[in-house]
Amino acid sequence: MTDSLRRRDFLKLVGLAGVAGTVGCGEQPVRSLIPQMVPYEDIHPGVAAWYATTCRECPAGCGMTVRTREGRATKVEGNPQHPISRGGLCVRGQASLQGLYNPDRIQQPFRRDTGGAIQNISWEEAEEQLRERIGALQEAGEGDKIVFLTGRNGESFNQLADRWLGALGSDRHIVYEAFSQAPILEANEITFGTRAVPSYGIAEADYIVSFGADFLETWLSPVGFSRDFAQMHAYRDGRMGKLVQVEPRLSLTGANADEWVSIKPGTEMFLALGMAHRIVTGKLGVTLSSGEAQGLENLLAPYAPDSVAALTEVPGETIERMAREFAGASAGLALGGGVAATGENATATQVAINLLNYVTGRIGQTIRFDRPRYTEESAGLGSLAELVESMNQGNVKLLLVHQANPVYNLPPALGFADALQKVPFVVSFSSFADETTGLAHMAMPDLTPLEQWGDFRPAAGVHSLMQPTMNPVFDGRATGDVLLQVAKQLGGAVAEAFPWENFQEYLKERWKETYGESAGENFEQFWRDALQRGGVWDSSPSSSSAEAAAGAGSRLRLTSQALRFSFLPAGFAGQGEFFLHLYPSIHYYDGRGANRPWLQEIPDPITNIVWDSWVEVHPETAGRMGIVEGDLLRLESPAGSVEVPAYIYAGVRPDTVAIPLGQGHESYGRYATGLGVNPAVLLPAASDSHTETPAWSCTKVQISKTGRRSELVRTDGSVKELGRGISEIIPLSALTAGSQGEQHGEPAEQHAAQSMYPPHEHTDYRWGMAIDLSACTGCGACVAACYAENNIPVVGKQQIARGRHMAWIRIERYIENIAVNSSVAPDMRFSPMLCQQCDNAPCEPVCPVYATMHSSEGLNLQVYNRCVGTRYCSNNCPYKVRVFNWFEYEFPEPLHLQLNPDVVVRDKGVMEKCTFCVQRIREGKDHAKDEGRLVRDGEVTPACAQSCPTQAIMFGNLLDPESAVSRLSRRQHGYHALEELNTKPAITYLPRVKRI
Amino acid sequence: MSATNQQPVSFTQITDDILAPMWKPSRGYLLLLFAAFSLAVVGGLCWLHQINTGMGVAGIARPAGWGIYISTFVFWVGIAHSGTLISAILYLFHVPWRAAISRTAEAMTIFAVMTAGLFPLIHIGRPWLFYWLIPYPNQRHLWVNFRSPLIWDVFAIGTYFTISLIFWYVGMIPDLAAIRDRSTGRKRSIYGLFALGWRGSGNQWRHYKAAYLFFAALATPLVISVHSVVSWDFAVGIVPGWHSTIFAPYFVAGAIFSGLAMVCTLIIPLRRAFHLEKYITLNHFNQLSKLILFMSLIVSYAYVMEFFIAWYTGNPIERDSYYYRAFGDYQTLFWIMTVCNCFVPLVLFFRKMRHNLKVLFALSLLINVGMYLERFIIIPVSLTHGFIPNVWGLYTPSIYEIGILAGSFGFFFFLFLLFIKFLPVLPIFEIKEVFQSQPAKQFREATS
Repeated sequence: MTDSLRRRDFLKLVGLAGVAGTVGCGEQPVRSLIPQMVPYEDIHPGVAAWYATTCRECPAGCGMTVRTREGRATKVEGNPQHPISRGGLCVRGQASLQGLYNPDRIQQPFRRDTGGAIQNISWEEAEEQLRERIGALQEAGEGDKIVFLTGRNGESFNQLADRWLGALGSDRHIVYEAFSQAPILEANEITFGTRAVPSYGIAEADYIVSFGADFLETWLSPVGFSRDFAQMHAYRDGRMGKLVQVEPRLSLTGANADEWVSIKPGTEMFLALGMAHRIVTGKLGVTLSSGEAQGLENLLAPYAPDSVAALTEVPGETIERMAREFAGASAGLALGGGVAATGENATATQVAINLLNYVTGRIGQTIRFDRPRYTEESAGLGSLAELVESMNQGNVKLLLVHQANPVYNLPPALGFADALQKVPFVVSFSSFADETTGLAHMAMPDLTPLEQWGDFRPAAGVHSLMQPTMNPVFDGRATGDVLLQVAKQLGGAVAEAFPWENFQEYLKERWKETYGESAGENFEQFWRDALQRGGVWDSSPSSSSAEAAAGAGSRLRLTSQALRFSFLPAGFAGQGEFFLHLYPSIHYYDGRGANRPWLQEIPDPITNIVWDSWVEVHPETAGRMGIVEGDLLRLESPAGSVEVPAYIYAGVRPDTVAIPLGQGHESYGRYATGLGVNPAVLLPAASDSHTETPAWSCTKVQISKTGRRSELVRTDGSVKELGRGISEIIPLSALTAGSQGEQHGEPAEQHAAQSMYPPHEHTDYRWGMAIDLSACTGCGACVAACYAENNIPVVGKQQIARGRHMAWIRIERYIENIAVNSSVAPDMRFSPMLCQQCDNAPCEPVCPVYATMHSSEGLNLQVYNRCVGTRYCSNNCPYKVRVFNWFEYEFPEPLHLQLNPDVVVRDKGVMEKCTFCVQRIREGKDHAKDEGRLVRDGEVTPACAQSCPTQAIMFGNLLDPESAVSRLSRRQHGYHALEELNTKPAITYLPRVKRI
Repeated sequence: MSATNQQPVSFTQITDDILAPMWKPSRGYLLLLFAAFSLAVVGGLCWLHQINTGMGVAGIARPAGWGIYISTFVFWVGIAHSGTLISAILYLFHVPWRAAISRTAEAMTIFAVMTAGLFPLIHIGRPWLFYWLIPYPNQRHLWVNFRSPLIWDVFAIGTYFTISLIFWYVGMIPDLAAIRDRSTGRKRSIYGLFALGWRGSGNQWRHYKAAYLFFAALATPLVISVHSVVSWDFAVGIVPGWHSTIFAPYFVAGAIFSGLAMVCTLIIPLRRAFHLEKYITLNHFNQLSKLILFMSLIVSYAYVMEFFIAWYTGNPIERDSYYYRAFGDYQTLFWIMTVCNCFVPLVLFFRKMRHNLKVLFALSLLINVGMYLERFIIIPVSLTHGFIPNVWGLYTPSIYEIGILAGSFGFFFFLFLLFIKFLPVLPIFEIKEVFQSQPAKQFREATS
């Protein structure tokens, strides 16, 4: 029936529901749709309503605000008040809209008949079937054979699931995250006796050693950490924090580091121990009690730098230097983990890192257990292995799968898929037709996070709320509601245990229980405020309270267990020549992002490849084996083999090959299916020896050329910047030496005389931007935000291969210098390139019809209606930031509902480009006009700047000398891209400060 | 051939010879006409598909916003050049050998400009709005941007076409009268209409000669201006490889060079097919060859200067672009171009070669290829290697672009073949003059 849900009907329904809600005669579910960030009381045509909610694209739990127009979500942004993300949002968060409007969502419940054919059924039928199954099991006394497998959820849902299972006589609720933090929990238990993931003071640190933690990409909380890192790594008062990234393959995080230690895979642990050894024996760290010192010396005795150098292939002097630098840092921090570093010794690695932090006194300083990020445990492979065992033995009669796709992201060697087929009845609550749903007997599609109620606790003291931002796009139902409904239908004691009408009511009640006291008498007001804000949190959870820190730090002592810990080296299966290094893609995470066309379309930050999988091979290896980019290679491990095209990358060790995770779906909608490979098939059923967490770094592979080719589509024309003044760096030494440095260009006024035409006059505004390349990590969030805000179409791999991607902003990535085993900072540059809104724009005079022209506010306007499509402007644009509509692009239903009504969808044959989000400027000016004033600094923010997790992009009025952008633009080392062309851009770049 | 030259040729004989092609369409002619027409139709269908689907069916993409459409445009504008050069400039200088080839060259000009004029339409994204490029009072309250070289193009091409057409037509009036006089029925009235009542009286001749001189004088500066303006499409742009002050003379020389080559390509088969050896003699080709050689040397000089200046500026981006041109992805095309335009024409230093029509014909084809490649190398290849290394790319024409390119040749030859059939390929009265007047003696001596 949803096939017939057309836009008009949809809008009517939404409008009707909205009116019903506000008039107050509606049904229960709509009543509380009122809370908004901006308190509009109902849906005003043409006026955006903002709802605060929580991003659930990964377990970081960033705060989001969702802009809705006429009852549909059109844009998500970071919630500036939220303590985790503080206004930023990553590329995956931006793409959550494409989960909501994904054309391949399961549109209604279905069940699979015995022949495997899909039969659509109604929700009533589906719930009845589930009830029958449960009823039958209960009668047979087999209630304990019901298993609920879920992803990491908010506390309320978790509790409901537990309670629901409990009422049916089962306690088998298994929480499964593909990228588990269990080793950290376990290691902290072992080392300090506290089972928690602490909070990491990245922002306060001045020296970070990261053992494989890709904290700018996927590790724990990338958006918040990016912000912290930008703060820590910013040059101020003559100082700049240092990041040393220890990993076999240079990740995006590594590319932003000051040093890359290209360690042998699986030996990160030894490096940490070696450093700790040097610190303890050299008494470089804090004073330890004699007992501890003795114990540690004994424990670390085998890890003298020399022997560690042999194990890790990191030069002894590097270890020595790192130990000294780390111990000498006033606020050092050692991090570890990340998928790529999760091997059989994952927990041991964390213990080693803990020791390193401990001996330098970082516990309680930069590592805070008094504010744990989280404490509950995600299921390790152990319980999943048990589950597989149990399924095989027939001890699972009913399996419910919610927000997890183990058939895809568990190594097939584990046999989950086979075991699943032995379960008599599998229900999938997935919103998408993923691999696990493909094996389920019945699908009861959950709503996406943007459509439902919920809560999430991303860190201690942060209680984030989720609320529906619009009515469901399809006929899905929130799983929480389904559970309550089924309980009701089961009747008897079960029904009595669940008196709530729906999940929303349950959630509110639970919050009332938890916060009723702090809320005071007026809980309604509290609840409304919480919804508007996006949750409840302490005002400044990240700021350090010295008192608490001291208290927490002094209490934590090494356990005796830690001093007896045995550090076993990681095992690697197979006799292959190369270590297999799997890493989570910043776009696809554990694979769940693969069906979002934006994430496929936006180039990978490091390789700039789109719509594909690849294997990274070191140039030396490639030269030796005669491999060139695009050669289809066959990778064989003891567990399986894949064929994947080669990408030659100097950022991977010669003895290692790296493949990103997340692609290679067999079933996940039109955008993901059949694209790339899922390298998990190469993994043996190995796991961390302490937590049973799946090991991602655990096998070696053999490579052979298949003789065939599979062309990779990259968006970069050249990997070198060639010193053209596009993406500049400035040595830290030049800044600290107090030298004036090379003056980049002259002030714009001096150029004025060189023009034949009088300069443009700007009266109130001259919009401008300052982009701090020191802060830009290259993550691509701005690109996704721009796609969402400006209705930019997705064109697919073939068209991108021709050079026809439509992005208005791109991250130019230049690989200037990367070397394995070099103490020189990796020089990989990222610079956002968008329309420079030149004052002396080369595009303007060449347009024969004035389709592109200068506005009184300094914007290069592009008048789509006027454009005849000569493309002369694009040819003459030195920055090549104009894009042409080569075709009439489509937005497959219901993706078209995401389109921003403030921005026109361009026709074929016209040129388009970045507008500095002129619709937002317009909106800001309208507000200002209503109040009879000029736009205030910071009042207007383009989508790219808004999303930037590190606030590398600053936007504002250059005519206001006090605006942030003016101040940044006046910075001494600021420069304009291709300054010698005298285009007088409105964008000033601040060069990346490089520790060279 | 020498035998025919020694016999006196009567005026009737001249008229008969020149008008001979007009009376009997041979099978071969019809076949050619059909082939040219089909090719034009193929091009038209490709264009329709492109309008319908979007510019994306062509191979152009960022960074090369312009591809072979613009190359072909410049190519045809270049071809259009020698017509006016031969007719107007050589007329003003009283060059005796001009008469034999002027009509063909002028016709070529007209058709080449017509073909060229299609390409701006073909290459724009919304061709149905082409009239927005024409400044005329309108109710949209919109105007064109006179700073844009594309508007200059509209004027340059428009003016050139208009003047060339009038010049061509005026030159043809006495001949049209001659056809009228030899025709009957409807044909007679049609030609009569266009002959404008020409009777060949002394008074008419006096006025006619004055008018022709006037048009010749008017057309002369256009030879220089049109291609200068076309070259500014590029020179005004800041793209490395375009942004150069040498472009105007360089393009004019290139245009005349390619135009002369095209004249050879057309006249050599024409002369043979219609037995015009009496009128288009080896001396004509000798003179043409010298001009071609001279233009080749100018073009070669321009090539050298482009590279020299790129090096001399010291601008690394400029240097890199020219290095890329010679040794980058398109180096094969570059070297083919260099051989065709700079080295092969050097054989014309030998008199023997200038008299060998087979060599000359082959040479003219090579020059056409070389000059086409020149435009390709300047336009899309420069664009693919611009300022920002991150967006460097490659440009390969798609099948539809090739179809439209082929279609343009079909269109041109279709028109040209119709011209052969319906209009005199040589200016009858001028040939008669040549054979009668004092220069005629020199003419005969030179060709004997």
